[in-house]
Amino acid sequence: MNKKIMLVLITIVLLSCNFLFPIDKAPAQAPDVAEPTQSSSQPNENSTSALPGFTLVRLHPEDGDLQAMLANEAQKADALGQIPVVEFDATWCPPCIAIDAALESRNELMLKAYAGIYLIKLDVDEWGWDNGGFQDFRFDAIPVYFKINAQGHQTGEVIDGGAWNEDIPENIAPVMDEFFHGTS
Amino acid sequence: MEEEIERFLCAWMHMKLHFPSFVLAMLLFTSTVSCTPDLASPQSQPISLASFTENYVDVSIYLESDSRGNYSLSATFTPPDGYHLYSKDIPLDGVDGLGRPTLLELTNESHIKVKGELTESLKAQEPNFEPKELLVYPPGAVTLSLPLELPSGNNWVNDEIKITYMACSASQCKPPVVGKIILIRVPGTGVFNRPQ
Repeated sequence: MNKKIMLVLITIVLLSCNFLFPIDKAPAQAPDVAEPTQSSSQPNENSTSALPGFTLVRLHPEDGDLQAMLANEAQKADALGQIPVVEFDATWCPPCIAIDAALESRNELMLKAYAGIYLIKLDVDEWGWDNGGFQDFRFDAIPVYFKINAQGHQTGEVIDGGAWNEDIPENIAPVMDEFFHGTS
Repeated sequence: MEEEIERFLCAWMHMKLHFPSFVLAMLLFTSTVSCTPDLASPQSQPISLASFTENYVDVSIYLESDSRGNYSLSATFTPPDGYHLYSKDIPLDGVDGLGRPTLLELTNESHIKVKGELTESLKAQEPNFEPKELLVYPPGAVTLSLPLELPSGNNWVNDEIKITYMACSASQCKPPVVGKIILIRVPGTGVFNRPQ
């Protein structure tokens, strides 16, 4: 009888010690370690999109001088009666891809906001990003949009993803409509 | 240890000692055996090894030890307000190319040896956008820790580590930093408690 009582008491003491002085827990998850590589870019082909109401072009460095190409695209936009806008994006940027997906799915709000826009896309992995922008385009996050004039120079009108919150058409479309057209 | 306790109990039983005395003795014994912390390697203050800011994320790298004398290399990543970092467990080239993991790694040239798995101070969560596999940490700072074995001796040795991360908010991203090599000086075990 006494033996049982004593064993119970010992167990209680040991348990209470562990409660008062808990042992450190070991790490839980295994790391996913791999050799690093530079982020890759897989930009779309240099072509004009057929989405209704606006034009989408992607430019690549191997196609020539950026300033000359921007001037050329601005003239094409003018000929179409559209507003030329430069967008910097990247393949690793979830918000950029979310906007593309909303346009490709022909979201009505987005199509209305982008109507009459000649969008010239530049991948920052292709064109470079010196932590403060690229050439006379200054920015610290993407996606970012610059209006350009007929000579391909930015007009000073710029907007980035910080202008809206979560990347959903209901948030993006009114802001971009205001930026593109001056209406909401 | 179990055998010792059993022998101890048997001895007391055999001697038929007074029961309250036995209980008191057992309390003292078990408290001494089970509750005394390991004082062989007292916990030290973390030693700062390097810090830098790149692409708007502050990174602080330091060495620390626990009360058991285990060492770990840690890095605290602090993105801008409203920005988050991505899980250490997503692929290096992202999920479907999106995002970049937060990583603290040794290089092939490193002298220190890894003793365990990379751990995170916060649990990564599913994002509220697709792809759901693109796990993100809650907005704000996150610390990764790598258990390691320091070189022996009383000298500091040159070493290097690799840092990877990318910060995004709900609607924009800063550029990623991938495999950035950071040169550090690591103390031998003999000097850990006497930082320069």
